[in-house]
Amino acid sequence: MGSLEPFNRLVKLTARAFYDDISMKGENQPKTSRGDNRGMAVVVLDALTRRQWVREEDLAKSLKLHSKQLRRILRFFEEEKLVTRDHRKESAKGAKIYSAAAAAAGDGQAGTKEGEEKVKLHTHSYCCLDYAQICDVVRYRIHRMKKTLKDELDSRNTVQHYVCPNCKKRYSAFDALQLISYTDEYFHCENCNGELIAESDKLASEEMGDGDDNARKRRREKLNDMQQRIDEQLKPLQAQLKRVKDLPAPEFGSLQSWERLNLGAFTHGDSCAADASRNAQGQYNGTPMPYLGDTKVDVELAGSGAKEEGAESGRNGAELKVLPPWMVKEGMNLTKEQRGETSNTSSNGDEKSEGKDAKKQDPKEDEKSIQDEYIKAYYEALKKRQEQEDAKMMQQEGHAFSSTHSERQLGTKTKREDGDVEDEGVEWEEQEPLGNTSEPYKFVDLNAEAPESGDEEDGIDWEEG
Amino acid sequence: MFFHIVLERNMQLHPRHFGPHLRDKLVAKLMKDVEGTCSGRHGFVVAITGVEDVGKGLIREGTGFVTFPVKYQCVVFRPFKGEILEAVVTMVNKMGFFAEAGPVQIFVSNHLIPDDMEFQSGDVPNYTTSDGSVKIQKESEVRLKIIGTRVDATEIFCIGTIKDDYLGIISDPGAAS
Ligand SMILES: [Zn+2]
Repeated sequence: MGSLEPFNRLVKLTARAFYDDISMKGENQPKTSRGDNRGMAVVVLDALTRRQWVREEDLAKSLKLHSKQLRRILRFFEEEKLVTRDHRKESAKGAKIYSAAAAAAGDGQAGTKEGEEKVKLHTHSYCCLDYAQICDVVRYRIHRMKKTLKDELDSRNTVQHYVCPNCKKRYSAFDALQLISYTDEYFHCENCNGELIAESDKLASEEMGDGDDNARKRRREKLNDMQQRIDEQLKPLQAQLKRVKDLPAPEFGSLQSWERLNLGAFTHGDSCAADASRNAQGQYNGTPMPYLGDTKVDVELAGSGAKEEGAESGRNGAELKVLPPWMVKEGMNLTKEQRGETSNTSSNGDEKSEGKDAKKQDPKEDEKSIQDEYIKAYYEALKKRQEQEDAKMMQQEGHAFSSTHSERQLGTKTKREDGDVEDEGVEWEEQEPLGNTSEPYKFVDLNAEAPESGDEEDGIDWEEG
Repeated sequence: MFFHIVLERNMQLHPRHFGPHLRDKLVAKLMKDVEGTCSGRHGFVVAITGVEDVGKGLIREGTGFVTFPVKYQCVVFRPFKGEILEAVVTMVNKMGFFAEAGPVQIFVSNHLIPDDMEFQSGDVPNYTTSDGSVKIQKESEVRLKIIGTRVDATEIFCIGTIKDDYLGIISDPGAAS
């Protein structure tokens, strides 16, 4: 199964080469009206490279576009054969199935909110990129451009004109039947029987130097110039096409098969399998519930995690999914995107550079540094925590222990302190404190804990003993 | 391109044909009148494939002829710009060559013949590549692309080219003999 990255790059290059200044206006809107939406086409295509099948309303919402406007753009791309769309009437259940599939596919952003689940029977539209067809379409388009220019330069599709040198009467090739002479091999003038001269020959032989001639020359120059510019400006696109040529194009299949695949109702051998990361989750036999994929995430400590990432060609290059906070576990070899540090929903994001540095590191070095970081962070956090706790204990003495929860041993959490990996929630198994923890730390009251958890509520994962 | 369409025509029939075979006579006359004709709008009528409807006849004053409105299905052939056709060369001269695709006449001027083919005059004038491997002469079959059509009320004339990929000679009778 093909890697997405080169194909997504192709889509982005294509968007910028051909759809950059496409303005998607309704017919009744004047061209001069406010809110020129040129460039929107590029934004939409880029957004689609970060998704698979997506409900158009959801896409509109995350791009902050009016759904009508988005639909117009998508319809345009459908006609351009870049995008496949599917429309269906669906109930709340159908919408749910899609959401579940989307969640399983790791798109993350397509999830339906609770309130939205009571959809009546509405027609919903979905769209996704048709990578295989995009390659063909782009290749064909470039071919046509070049051919048109070349034909024009060779004056291939022009109808030959003839002129009589005596009476200057002009004829075209359409008159050929009437002009044939049966005495020789030339065309003859109907008026004076003079031997006709093909017009291009005439221009070559005599230097007429009239306006017509100059115009033709200028036109030729213009065409030549255009040809050069095409070659130059499309070079990256053509290079990418070449790169992609022998790779299998990513294939999402139809909306239904994609959904089934992502819900795992299909057997693994299904031919329209998706990319590797989705396969991994797809095999999970689950009821159509979002986020059931949770347990599936391979939480392998340190080294193996790094290896895993290298092996999965499907997620190697482009889209590393943003993992929800509850999926983030210690020891996972995460890039910035996976932690969601860069905003994935931003419409113009060109994630070419995102997280590259993280990925490029040598896996072993990476693993070691992570371990080191982890240990360092652990001790630091422990120390800090102890200080905090001590302070709190002083304040709340007596009060804390009288609370009903006081008997419980609670998992608590702390924060990684070192520099760039700040926001990550790390859980501790409370029962196994390392070394020199002091006793009061162990029995932490829920109430006491609450205020300091502060900004990262969702990172908390309580384990009740 | 070929089309299967329904056309209508008012047929005049002599009173001597009136009788049990009136309809047969009518159809026979229709075929004779229509097949092989050309209209600028529909192209050449190649064949009548069926008669859909024969309307009520109307006696014409003074002559006794009866006019029947007849609806008939037929196959028509209408060449289009950009269409690829196979044609038989009918004449070769210094200015290019003429070819026929069924009823359609096509002229390919010499600047639309590949540059590596040169005109050779003689008993059998022809266009030949320098190595002699390809030769276009009378009776040669060529595949060509139509780059222009002139459609008159009763005639269609085309300009073609063989200066493109996969165009040119299909079979060469000169090479076989
Ligand atoms: Zn003349």
